[in-house]
Amino acid sequence: MRRFGELVGVAVAGLTARKVRTLLILLGPILGVAAIVAAIGINESSKGDLKAKLRELGTDLIVANAQDTIGGFGQNPRIPEEAADRVARLPDVTSVTGTFQLSNIVTLPFAAAADYYRAFPVPIIATHLNLPETMDVPLVSGRFLNEFDESSAARVAVIGRDLANEYGYIANEPRTIQLGGVDYGVVGVLDYVLLEPSMDSAVFITFANAVEDWDIEEPDPSRLYIRAPTNTKYVAEEVPTVVSLGGPDGANTSVPTDLLDAQSQVDENLNNLTKMMGGLALVVGGVGIANVMSISVIQRSSEIGIRRALGHSRGTIAIQFLFEALVIGVMGGILGAGVGAGVVWMVSEMRDYTMILSVSGLVRWASVSVGVAVVAGLYPSTKAARLEPLETLRLG
Amino acid sequence: MPPSPVSESLLSLEGVSRVYGEEVPVHALRDVWLDIRAGEFLSIIGPSGSGKSTMLGLLGVLDLPTSGSIRILGTEVNTLPDAQRSRLRGDAIGFVFQQFHLVPHLTSLGNVETALLYRDLSRRERRRRSMEALERVDLVQRADHRPIQMSGGEQQRTAIARAIVTEPLVVLADEPTGALDTENAANVMEIFAGLRSSERAVCIVTHDLSVAGATERRISMLDGEIVLDEVQVPAT
Repeated sequence: MRRFGELVGVAVAGLTARKVRTLLILLGPILGVAAIVAAIGINESSKGDLKAKLRELGTDLIVANAQDTIGGFGQNPRIPEEAADRVARLPDVTSVTGTFQLSNIVTLPFAAAADYYRAFPVPIIATHLNLPETMDVPLVSGRFLNEFDESSAARVAVIGRDLANEYGYIANEPRTIQLGGVDYGVVGVLDYVLLEPSMDSAVFITFANAVEDWDIEEPDPSRLYIRAPTNTKYVAEEVPTVVSLGGPDGANTSVPTDLLDAQSQVDENLNNLTKMMGGLALVVGGVGIANVMSISVIQRSSEIGIRRALGHSRGTIAIQFLFEALVIGVMGGILGAGVGAGVVWMVSEMRDYTMILSVSGLVRWASVSVGVAVVAGLYPSTKAARLEPLETLRLG
Repeated sequence: MPPSPVSESLLSLEGVSRVYGEEVPVHALRDVWLDIRAGEFLSIIGPSGSGKSTMLGLLGVLDLPTSGSIRILGTEVNTLPDAQRSRLRGDAIGFVFQQFHLVPHLTSLGNVETALLYRDLSRRERRRRSMEALERVDLVQRADHRPIQMSGGEQQRTAIARAIVTEPLVVLADEPTGALDTENAANVMEIFAGLRSSERAVCIVTHDLSVAGATERRISMLDGEIVLDEVQVPAT
């Protein structure tokens, strides 16, 4: 241990004695490690928002869309109420909400805006009453549709948060909106629905209203939102069968977060490319270390000679120079990882990414720098060890 | 000063030859027999090309003979592996060179300490012994100075401190006064004379007759051979 400390001391003294040269040698590993860390960090951080969103949303929501099983070209396919009940009874399912989107209804906050909202229609969604629970979304203000609204077919509506902002809706104010010329009272505003952003600018009404005011024949949904915290994947596979049971009705299912999950995966090709480029920078850095240290060995031949005269063996001389390379590798690795992390932080700040940087990654790439430096130091170390002391002392 | 009583053989060359080159061999040393004993203060003298520097290299085990043996305290060292030979060299021999060969980025103390590295000594012990060695050459006040901040005489005294800090059996000096003015040269020679003891010999390689005249035994070389090995009364 004492010998190790002495070797490190000699190596550090040798390096600090030639500061500019040491700095130049250090540039190789610093740039190499910084390039790799920055490239991978930026790549991962750019996906960080998606990953954070994914964590927030959870990955247990299934969306089932009605589909005709015969031919698949039927108009307005629906999922019968009893099929939705069957889905709700599945063991892993905790909550099911059916919705049906009405079409060709112009929604107006006020009469003067008619032309605009004809051009950009607002979706109207008939929904079961447990939508906030299933989607795990709170209300910003007011309340959601309830049993009384359903049973009495009261003309009340809940609106999405974007729509509320667009309409200039003030929380809990008595306000009506016109749906196809019929006034509905706004009783609440639903918060942002991250998994279904179209709901943010939608109007929600009960199925009773849909049947009564808009001539929907059956209060059957065309889409089910299913929450299954366990075995989500298997439930998603099972739902079409449970809906259909051999009959004409069918459904296809998807897990919205699967798509996000795929998007959030770091681009491996890009990562490999950046790793390759960083690796190349490290190799070039290694060649630089070997080159500069070889010149240093010649310049320090007198020092090598006198150390040999003082009893240091060839092995000790080789290890001394190898330790200099090791110190360069360690310092280059640490500084490179620091610079790389700094770049990732800066870019994340500028682009509003969620900074993602793994400590194990930093350690890994710093270690690669150490490895490259040590390998690069092998040649000059061997060269130093092979110098004949008598020759070096005469030359010196 | 009368010659000290000589005793056991510290360092010896037995039939040593050294030939450089293969295609055109140069016989730098031919069948040299030499015995250096404890307490001796000797000089090896000869003109340029006489083989005295080659002999110094062999005596210091910095070089290996083409034939013959080098022995330290009776042990043949030229057949030992490098690590053992180096360790023996570090323990038994202290070198002083004409060009000082101090490590430029180290202080005077740091240079002396270099000789004590890798000997399983604590840093404090290394420092203590190095300061003692500097004290013996009257250079404690320059311990923190780098070679570039010191005069030639001070640099050579640092080199002498480095040579003696390991308490070697033999101090080998190659033209130690060659780069010094007369006053500093006289100083250095005085230090050398004081270094030999009942356990240690001091050997100076020089072409300077006045330096050789200050030693008690003078070995004259010519064309790679010892032509004269005489004991003399040193000039004061």
